[in-house]
Amino acid sequence: MKGPFLETVRFELAYYLRRISTWVYFGIFFLIAFLLVLAAGGAWESVGVSFGGSGGNIKVDSPYVALQLTAALSIFGVIVTAALLGNSVYRDYEAVIHPLFFTSPVTRFSYLGGRFLGALLVNALVMLSVPLGLMAGAAAPWTDRARFGAFTLAGHLHPYLVVVLPTLLLTGAIFFALAAITRQMLPNYIGGVVLVFGYLLAGSLMQDLDNERRAALLDPFGGYAIELATKYWSPAQKNQLLVPLEDVFLWNRLLWLGVGLTVFLVVYARFRFTHVAAERASRKRVTHEETASGTAYVAPRRLSLPRPARHFGAAAQLRQYLSVARRSFWTIVGNRYFYAIIAAALLFMAISAQEVGKMYGTTTWPVTYAVLDLLGATFTLFLLIIISFYTGELVWQERDVRLNQVHDATPVPTWVPLAGKFTALALVIVLLQGVMLATGVATQAAKGYFNFELGLYVRRLFGTELLSLVLLAVFVMLVHVVVNHKYMGHLLVILYVVFSGLMSQFGLEHNLYRYNSGSSGTYSDMNGFGPWLEPFGWFKLYWIGWALLLAVLTNLFWVRGQETRMAWRARLARFRFRRPALAATLVAGLLVLGLGGFIFYNTNVLNDFVTSREVEERRAEYERTYKRFEGAPQPRVVGVRVWTDIFPEEGRARVRGEYRLRNKTEVAIDSLHLMVPQEVEIRRMAFDRPATRVLADPEHSFYVYRLAAPLQPGDSLRLEWEVDYGGEGFENSVSNTRVVRNGTFFDSGILPSFGYAEGVELGDDDTRRKHGLQPKPRMAPVNDPEARMNTYISRDSDWIDFEATVSTSPDQVAIAPGYLQRTWTEDGRRYFHYRMDSPILNFYSFLSARYEVERDRWVGPDGRQVAIEVYHHPGHEYNVERMIYGVKKSLDYFTANFGPYQHRQVRILEFPRYATFAQSFPNTIPYSEGIGFIARLDDEEDVDYPFYVTAHEVAHQWWAHQVIGGNVQGSTLLSETLAQYSAMMVMEEEYGREQMRKFLKYEMDQYFSGRSMERKKELPLLLVENQQYIHYNKGSVAMYALRDYIGEERLNGAIRAFLEANRFREPPYPNSLEFYRHLQAATPDSLRYVLTDLFETITMYGNRARSASYTRLPDGRWEVTLEVEGNKIRADSLGNERPVRMNDLVDVGVFAAAPAGKPKEAGPVLYLQKHRIGSGTQRVRVVVDREPASAGIDPYHKLLDQQAGDNTVEVKPAAGGVRATRRP
Amino acid sequence: MELVISHLSKTYPNGVRALDDVSLTIPQGMFGLLGPNGAGKSTLMRTLATLQEADGGSATLGGIDVLRDKDEVRRTLGYLPQEFGVYPKVTAEDLLDHFAVLKGITGRRERKETVKALLEQTNLYDVRKKKLGGFSGGMRQRFGIAVALLGDPRLIIVDEPTAGLDPAERVRFLNLLSELGENAVVILSTHIVEDVSELCRRMAIINRGRILLEAEPLAAIDALAGKVWKKVVEKDDLAPYEAAHQVISTRLLAGRTLLHVFAAERPDPSFDPVDPTLEDVYFTAMAGMHTREASLSGAEVAS
Repeated sequence: MKGPFLETVRFELAYYLRRISTWVYFGIFFLIAFLLVLAAGGAWESVGVSFGGSGGNIKVDSPYVALQLTAALSIFGVIVTAALLGNSVYRDYEAVIHPLFFTSPVTRFSYLGGRFLGALLVNALVMLSVPLGLMAGAAAPWTDRARFGAFTLAGHLHPYLVVVLPTLLLTGAIFFALAAITRQMLPNYIGGVVLVFGYLLAGSLMQDLDNERRAALLDPFGGYAIELATKYWSPAQKNQLLVPLEDVFLWNRLLWLGVGLTVFLVVYARFRFTHVAAERASRKRVTHEETASGTAYVAPRRLSLPRPARHFGAAAQLRQYLSVARRSFWTIVGNRYFYAIIAAALLFMAISAQEVGKMYGTTTWPVTYAVLDLLGATFTLFLLIIISFYTGELVWQERDVRLNQVHDATPVPTWVPLAGKFTALALVIVLLQGVMLATGVATQAAKGYFNFELGLYVRRLFGTELLSLVLLAVFVMLVHVVVNHKYMGHLLVILYVVFSGLMSQFGLEHNLYRYNSGSSGTYSDMNGFGPWLEPFGWFKLYWIGWALLLAVLTNLFWVRGQETRMAWRARLARFRFRRPALAATLVAGLLVLGLGGFIFYNTNVLNDFVTSREVEERRAEYERTYKRFEGAPQPRVVGVRVWTDIFPEEGRARVRGEYRLRNKTEVAIDSLHLMVPQEVEIRRMAFDRPATRVLADPEHSFYVYRLAAPLQPGDSLRLEWEVDYGGEGFENSVSNTRVVRNGTFFDSGILPSFGYAEGVELGDDDTRRKHGLQPKPRMAPVNDPEARMNTYISRDSDWIDFEATVSTSPDQVAIAPGYLQRTWTEDGRRYFHYRMDSPILNFYSFLSARYEVERDRWVGPDGRQVAIEVYHHPGHEYNVERMIYGVKKSLDYFTANFGPYQHRQVRILEFPRYATFAQSFPNTIPYSEGIGFIARLDDEEDVDYPFYVTAHEVAHQWWAHQVIGGNVQGSTLLSETLAQYSAMMVMEEEYGREQMRKFLKYEMDQYFSGRSMERKKELPLLLVENQQYIHYNKGSVAMYALRDYIGEERLNGAIRAFLEANRFREPPYPNSLEFYRHLQAATPDSLRYVLTDLFETITMYGNRARSASYTRLPDGRWEVTLEVEGNKIRADSLGNERPVRMNDLVDVGVFAAAPAGKPKEAGPVLYLQKHRIGSGTQRVRVVVDREPASAGIDPYHKLLDQQAGDNTVEVKPAAGGVRATRRP
Repeated sequence: MELVISHLSKTYPNGVRALDDVSLTIPQGMFGLLGPNGAGKSTLMRTLATLQEADGGSATLGGIDVLRDKDEVRRTLGYLPQEFGVYPKVTAEDLLDHFAVLKGITGRRERKETVKALLEQTNLYDVRKKKLGGFSGGMRQRFGIAVALLGDPRLIIVDEPTAGLDPAERVRFLNLLSELGENAVVILSTHIVEDVSELCRRMAIINRGRILLEAEPLAAIDALAGKVWKKVVEKDDLAPYEAAHQVISTRLLAGRTLLHVFAAERPDPSFDPVDPTLEDVYFTAMAGMHTREASLSGAEVAS
């Protein structure tokens, strides 16, 4: 019985092992794995890639990185699986040899099982190349060895066992089954597409924390389950741990193994050794027709062949081309599997459309660009599969049915089938774009949004995107024709696409040599296609020229006839390279040269083309050359007047400025060190006294002037300057999103400043090492007296007087900080004069757009008034009222709890979504259209983040603009964490604790994910080094918890005291320790440990409720016994954890039944008190008045706890039933 | 119009010499290319049908260089490969129409007429609306002929066309071919001797890439007259005969073996004379009894 089975396995093994393609697959995957490790390992200086967060603390050869790379490559392995497993039975049908097998005495088990096992083994062998390649890479000596050092054999083999093999079993079973049952290859691709959709869907559902676990199960490749399982791993853990096969990851693997097994069993059960099942339908016809043609005598007829006129001219060729195109198009579109793919795509989009623009679990309005972005992001992979797949099918169309000889011998020029098929492919793409349009509109309508911007749909789907797709298709066609091996073609296409996405990270950054480059950029409601459109057009024209060349090449190598050896094909190609091809080459060549030259002139002559590598070099060079000037005494800016002329249509601005400077030092200053960013052009630089320029280094933005007479301590100086920004041709990749047609926004960062800028130095230690620089600390120590002489946002000034005149196009409004003094029109331009009446930080911005303005007014309890203005894009009214309301509520809370607002006005200004942040400048808050303006808050439970962001930015008018920390560790605690806390208080007052819980869940999630990607070292909150995950996310959680422990009054009192002591303080600037002293003063001794945990250390909990039961007391009340486990953990800066003794006050809560669909802790609170909880398991007894449904420890997640889901459990009746107690 | 092949050779990467200095002159009419499987017939046919490249040599059709001016050749070519498939889901009429366009019949009405006529000629008119996937081997073969005949070709190459046809279809098919031969160069490759003897005015025998004989069938048969002898022997007694005589073929006859031997004189009285057939010519050639020169001169004598 086992003879034939083993023989089948052996035969299958031998068959594939003899095939060259098997080894080519092996080689490709080995090489990719190997090269990826080398690339991430710093083998090439110009390559700056990172996989799985490698670099910094995470070693390239760590188990985690190996896992990530293996998981990613395992997805690409699907193509190989389709080729190997899919072909395993299918090739018998293809070779029509299946009757021989089917009539032999092998059993179904031997045939199917043997084939499956054999092919599977081969595939497993091929995929073994991945760990081998990774290990070879890790062993390669010519890398930056500092990035390695966490290698373990298990770390590299484990992913193979838990990721590659189970995935292989699943995908293998599916491909094997589909081909065996349908006797076609096409359904295989559908299977592949469906798998990819599962993966994409999981990805899009992951964005919502509530869906995470479900989403992770859904990913057939297991990648998202891994992501979930390792999401909070610290760098240290990533270097040490193997992903445990438990929980979601285990379920994911089991689920999909089960699916694979089921599929295989179904096929096994349904498979019959019969004649072609697929042809059953047509067989009837055959018999019917046989009789029609008959075998009876038919009288011979005189043959009279028609002699039609025949045409071979251009017109005839056109007809032939159209005929091929039409036929090819219908071949694709007439097939039901095509609709299966479309249906799968539609289903997928319908689901993922639920996630439009989610932030804090809140969606945005489905504006057209958002829907297009969503469709684009999810459809890209899908379209790529379609293009590669159908290109392969079309190229092989005749050969697949063995009609190629007849076809090839017809008197058509070779370009006819090529162009015809390509046209069909292009038409299919057009059709799919149409489907996308319909889907997009349907999605919008389904979500109750009816502003369909059809023009935008058409311009993107049938304009920019179609162009890119068609250009891609040309390349894909070339690959398939030249490679002349279907699966290898698919594999190469996918690899090409992946690589082309990574090219810039591999140091290939110029668009001129990245095929199909030219991005249509970020579409903005405010600014349309913005500055991208023009370069997009030129680049695409250039690539059309190349595409023509590729098409000629494709034509030369088009397989016609039986000669498929490369030598012959090359000879044939030379032979085919005659007049028409020559002419086309010439035209295309001229196009490429001409446009290439024009583009080069724009990107490299008019603009500065600098690679990332060169940028790094410049920064390193800057440090090496000018570091010696750091700390050299420089005058401080005390007053700024600027005249800014914005030319939106030309994308440029001219800024003239006057700095008043004072020597605040104790020494005379004779040299002035000026930094003028390299992207602006200096037109004028004049001091009010004799000075000579002794150094001009535009490449490093550094200039030195020597004053004829040194500036004495206390003396003042005036500098007048004028610079130009932008407007010259177009860049290789658009960097000037600052001055644009509608929605200009730039800040003082591009204007001249004084002194060596430490911020220019390379920060990342890996990069520093690459350039021969020593690692350096991210920030100066918290008490560094010298560093505290500057704020963390400026190094040449303290508080300044500010005045600005801004001009712009007549239909726009221009804004700068300060109060509007006057506006007028002159020479067809509109002018605005702003002046600030109180000192501000040397930090200001300019905006200009066609705005609509919503105005309101806040009146304080003392009768003080603050004008509120929201400048927004017409059509973006959705949340303007909320923002205004948010401003009012913020002013209410902040003035009542912290102190007065220093300005008379709050302005919110929308800017295009090229950046997605809001930023507080004095009385001026630029606010991206990407966050909040189109947020959709239908559900009362949605986190109102427009409101929250507004409150956060308004809070910055206090935290940063009234008190600002020195340029040392911990300072962002004083601005960001306090702004975060302030905003939360406003939000809680408005929306209640329930929404805060939801909000904090995201904050906690982002903290844990953030620390897992820390490249240098995680610091306690008190010493935060401008790390967002700490000052925002951990800060939120910490402050909220602290408020819970010591009370809002006390906490706000401490904050107020700190503010009062430091308002508009001159240097030295405050640090976090000063603030901390206020906190300590406000905290009772019994809770000092809380401060230590939250601010001085990295402390986390792993608390959980194990079980809970209740008994009914004789008095009718319920006694709940809760078994809880207390775990307290401290981590070091790399995330090495150690347990610490716990004896902390932690919430214990008991809840009545929650409404359906809500989390347990959403039920009415029956009991909520802080209990002392120690390490380990313990029991807590609580008596409540109503029937309890659930109970837990820290049910509201006030403490940092990675596993928040296990804090609450159901309360069950105790085993003993009603307990008779002695208690009354 | 005449197809002249001279010194054509082709060696495959695996070392097989598929064509070894092949020279042939093929006039208008049916030309049979006879040879065993793997003799190089298909290679020759494909080369003439522009689908394969020769390592050396030349072929001209009228004034056309077959190996270089492929487009020219294709305009006058009708080619039926030895093995071909069809799109299973397309109807006969539809696919034929498509090929008609490809063959340059771009006028709509003319194309319609041509397609109709050819479907009728090949007895497929009744099934023109049926999908090709349901066609039997014979129907498919006829469909291939219809494609080959599109556009009134001057050079028709049919590679093993009768394999897989039932007797009636074969007859009908051969009739069709013979009529085509009246005003075109028709090359028929086959390993079935009858096909040639019934149809072809000229023929060549090819083996291992070499032309063993180029002749008119009747003349070749005549040339063998009086040189072929037969004898029936027991199966077990074959060996001594093979050693002593030029055995050209053996065949079972009622359990015993019928020998044909080639000899200028009757070998011994136990041998009987045979009226040679084309099959004897074929086997004689295969056995190496003909030199090319001899057959050529024979052909010249006969013509």
